[in-house]
Amino acid sequence: MDLNTVLEFLLKGLDTSAPIAFAALGGVFSEKSGVFNIALEGIMIVTAFAIIWGSIMFGSIWLGLAFAIILGVAMAAIHALVTVTYKVDQIVSGTALNILAFGVARFLSQNVFGQETQSAMNPYAFPSWHGISVFSLLLIPITALAWFVLYKTVFGLRLRSVGENPESADTLGINVVLMRYSGVLISGLMCGLAAAVLYPSRWVSGMTGGRGFIALAAMIFGRWDPIGAVAASMLFGFADTARINFESKIPIPSQFVQMFPYVLAIVVLAGVVGKAKGPAAGGKPYEKGED
Amino acid sequence: MTRVNKYTLYETVAPLIGFLASMIILVVIVIIVGESPAKAADAVWKMTFSKTARVATILSTAIPLFLAGIAVAFGFRAGVFNIGVEGQYFFGGFVGAMAGIYLPLPAWLHVPSVVFFAMIGGALWALIPAILKVARGIHEVITTIMFNSIALALVNWLVNGPFSGLAGKGSLEAQTAHIRPTAAFLKLNAGFRALGWDVPDSVYLDYSLIVAMIAGFVVWFVLFRLRVGFDVRAVGTSPDVSLYAGIRVKRIQLGAFLASGALAGLVGLQEVFAIRGFYTYEIASGLGLDGIAIALIGRNSPVGVVFSSLLFAFLKQAGYGLQVYTKVPNSVIYVITGLMILIIVVTNELVSRYIRALRKKEAV
Repeated sequence: MDLNTVLEFLLKGLDTSAPIAFAALGGVFSEKSGVFNIALEGIMIVTAFAIIWGSIMFGSIWLGLAFAIILGVAMAAIHALVTVTYKVDQIVSGTALNILAFGVARFLSQNVFGQETQSAMNPYAFPSWHGISVFSLLLIPITALAWFVLYKTVFGLRLRSVGENPESADTLGINVVLMRYSGVLISGLMCGLAAAVLYPSRWVSGMTGGRGFIALAAMIFGRWDPIGAVAASMLFGFADTARINFESKIPIPSQFVQMFPYVLAIVVLAGVVGKAKGPAAGGKPYEKGED
Repeated sequence: MTRVNKYTLYETVAPLIGFLASMIILVVIVIIVGESPAKAADAVWKMTFSKTARVATILSTAIPLFLAGIAVAFGFRAGVFNIGVEGQYFFGGFVGAMAGIYLPLPAWLHVPSVVFFAMIGGALWALIPAILKVARGIHEVITTIMFNSIALALVNWLVNGPFSGLAGKGSLEAQTAHIRPTAAFLKLNAGFRALGWDVPDSVYLDYSLIVAMIAGFVVWFVLFRLRVGFDVRAVGTSPDVSLYAGIRVKRIQLGAFLASGALAGLVGLQEVFAIRGFYTYEIASGLGLDGIAIALIGRNSPVGVVFSSLLFAFLKQAGYGLQVYTKVPNSVIYVITGLMILIIVVTNELVSRYIRALRKKEAV
C-alpha cells in the first residue's frame, strides 16, 4: 500500500463519514437542548431531495444548498413546534415526520421530475479536492466550531442548561422555549449540510439508507459530545469504506457485509456505552410551574 | 350528560379533527397538482366502495395492518416504542414458513403451529433490543431500527442461500420451497357468501382474519381484564410511580417488548400462507412503519386500532385509485398520514389542556 492509496482511503472514509457526522452533530444540538430528534432521517430525505431540486431550479449548487437548508430547518421547525410548544411526545412527532418526509420527497419527485423514485441528474456540483466534495473537508472545522459554540459560548451554556435542568434555567431567566427551538432548528440546518455531502448528483428514493438513525447511534456512542459524535460517525464511515474496498476480496456473502454497519452499531451501543447518560431532561417537555 | 361522559366525548374529538383536516389537505393537494377534486373523489370511490369486492379488499388489506398496529400498540402501552415490527415480521414470517415447509403435521395442528412459530420468531427478533433496553438503558428506537436492517439482509441471505427453493424452477425471485398444503391458510370467502356477503373468490379473506381477531381479543383481555395488564398500563403511564407501587417495571417492559415482537411475527402470515404459499424476502415491506401510524391514530387501544387499520386500508386503496385514475401519486397517502398524526397529537394536547382548565374551574 503506497502513500497515495492510504490518502485516497482516508479521504474516501471522510467522505463516507461526513453525512452521518453532520446529522450526528445536529442530533447533539437538539438533544443537548432536551429534545430527542429521531426525525433526522426524514429531514435528510427531504434535504437530499431539496438540494437536487433547488440546484436545478435555481441553476446553482449553492442556491440548491441554501434551499435544502431552508427546507431542513422548516421540517425541524415543525418538530420544535409540536414538541416544545405543544409538548407532544418527541418520539411520536419524530416518527410522524419520518412518515411525512418519505411521502413528501416521493410526491415532489413525481410532480417535479415525473418519477416517484428518482430525480433528474443534477449538472451542478461542489468544487472537489482529490475526488471528494469540499464540504466533507469542512466537517473538521465545523466540528470544532460546534464544540466551541456548545462549550465556550454563553449560547452553548444556556442550550445545555435547558437540556439538563430547565426549571433552574428558567429561574435564572433563560428562555427555555427559545433555547430548545434553537437546538432543534440547528439540527435541521445540519441535515441540510448532510445532504450537501451525501450524493449531490441525483436523488434516489432510499438514498439516505438509515444514515439518520446511524447518526443517532453515533451521537450516543459519542456521549452527546460534538467531537465524540463525529469520531463515532467516522468509525461507521471508515468501517463502511473498508467494507466497500474489501467486499470483493473476502469470501463472505454480500448480505452479511451489508449488515455490518448495523451490527457494529449494536455492538458499540451494547458493549462500550454501558451507562451512557444523555441530557437529564432529554425527552421531557418543559412545563412551566404555574399552579 | 355526566362529567365523565363529557370528558370522554372531548377525547374522541382529536382523531375526528385529524381525519377531517387531513382530508381537506388532500383536497388542496389534489387542486394544486391540477386535478379536479370530483375526478379524484371518483377515483377514490372506484377503488374503495364501488363494489363488494373493493370493500372486501379493504378488509383483507386491513388484516396485516391491524396486526402490525396492535403489535406496536401493545408495546406503547408498556412504554416500549417498538419500531422493530418490520424486522420482527420478516424474521417471524421466515420462522413460520420453516415450520410450514418442514413439519409433517395434520392440518388441524399445522396451522396453529405455524402461527406459534411465527410468534416465536418475532419475539426472538425483539429479544436483543428488549434486553439492551432493560439491562443497559439503550433506547429501543435505535436498536430496533438497526435490527430491521439486519433482518432484511439476513432473510435475503437465508432465502438465497441455505433455504433457497429455486433449484431448477427458473424463477428469478429468490424464494423458499413451497409450504405443505396442510399449513395453507384457506379462504373463508364461501363462509361469508353463506352469510349473505357476496365476496368474490379473488379477495383474500383467509385464516389470518381469524388470527387477527383472536390476537385483538387477547390483547384487549390481557390489557383490561388481567392484573398483569394493569401493571403494563401503569408502567406505560409512569414507570417511576409503578416502581414505587412495587411493580417490577423492567420485567413488565421486557415481557411487553417480547409480546409486541410475537404479535409482529403474525403480520406476514397472510402473504406467506394464504397468498404466496412460500416465503420470499420480497413480501410486502413497510408494514412496520404503517403499524406505528395505525397505533398512534388508534390511540393504542385494541378497538381504536380496529378502526385505524380499516382507515389505513381505505387510505391505501384510495392511494391506488388516485395513482391509477389521476395525476396524484400514491405517495400522497404518506404525506396525509404523517400530517394526520401530527394534527391528532397536537389537537389531543389542546383538548387535554382545555379539560384541565375546565376541571380546575369546576373544582373551585
